[in-house]
Amino acid sequence: MKTQSFYAKRIQPLMFMALVTIACILVTAALHLSTLERVQINEQFFLWRSVLDAAAISHDGQPNSVATLFQDMVETYENQYVVETEDGTTRYVVERTGPGLWGPITIMIGFNDDLKTLAGISIVSQSETPGLGARIEERWFTSQFAGKQGPFRMVEEGTADAPEEIDAITGATITSESVKNIMNRVTAESGNISREQ
Amino acid sequence: MAAGMIKKTFLAPLGKDNPVFVQILGICSTLAVTNKLENTMVMTLGVMFTTALSSWTLSVMRKWIPSRIRMMVETMIIATYVIIVDIALKAFYPEMWKQLGPYVGLIITNCIVMGRIEAFALQNKPMLSLVDGLASGMGYAYVLLVIAFFRELLGTGTLWGYQILGSWWTNWSIMIMPPGGFFMLAIFIWIVREAVFKEGSK
Repeated sequence: MKTQSFYAKRIQPLMFMALVTIACILVTAALHLSTLERVQINEQFFLWRSVLDAAAISHDGQPNSVATLFQDMVETYENQYVVETEDGTTRYVVERTGPGLWGPITIMIGFNDDLKTLAGISIVSQSETPGLGARIEERWFTSQFAGKQGPFRMVEEGTADAPEEIDAITGATITSESVKNIMNRVTAESGNISREQ
Repeated sequence: MAAGMIKKTFLAPLGKDNPVFVQILGICSTLAVTNKLENTMVMTLGVMFTTALSSWTLSVMRKWIPSRIRMMVETMIIATYVIIVDIALKAFYPEMWKQLGPYVGLIITNCIVMGRIEAFALQNKPMLSLVDGLASGMGYAYVLLVIAFFRELLGTGTLWGYQILGSWWTNWSIMIMPPGGFFMLAIFIWIVREAVFKEGSK
């Protein structure tokens, strides 16, 4: 085989790679920009839904009704959401993040007017083990906190009866403890939530 | 192009050249995404899309790719298709996108995709490469779906999120953790090799 010219050996591969790269970037950038609005709407929907869940406002999970409810009832402030319910009471929703087993767990926590009793909680994001720790997103787990005041204690799944006891998830002790730690911290500090804005 | 050739190319990855249980490729994702049937389905569709179209694209380009940079070009094309899958999921199936997390992006590192391109697409015509890529993706898909079926059923007592086994069933937590994937894959390979390939080799 005869030796390749400098052009064929060095320049042509570089040019080829540059062309392929530009083409690929154009395709992905176009797709990204054309779906950007949809992605933002999705993210906003997830956020709004978790605020409503934490404030124990019932909704049917449809994007349109979630958006209407949120815009009607919720005022957004820098570090909290204030929800005016239909019966005239106010609920305060804050977002808190703490370490989980594999990554951070972010929880939306809703307080009743007294800033002590929980209205509800909802998991915003987590990366726990699917089928084990990830079950903290399930309703039976999150609904345990509604109407209670901290601090909490995790007990074996299915045995919680005292008000400060919460059913842990079998096989996900560390995740359950992480949620408990986040909850105990936020309930201990809940007096600092400001009613005045 | 002979129809027999297409048929042969299509059937090989589903049986005797299966990427998972014969070539033992793509194992990492086999372990990671097979603990729920629904996640597995979406993931395998993503892999099928990526293997089929990246094989086709690179087969179209194969005469012009300078051989010393071919792997860079391959990676670039594969990554583009994977990002397309990722963006599409993020925009139109956000709940699933949240659950799959980083695993969609990790299709790029699935050895089946690049393996089929290196071994097949660079030597064959585009249509045949498309068939080969698609069939390899399907060969991967059905193995994963079988594994996911057993892992979800034994691990959580559900299938596709619906409760199948009653309250008498004690969930095998090990099944939905990574070791469960190892066990199921090994059992699957063992059964297939004992039951199917032993017959053939006699």
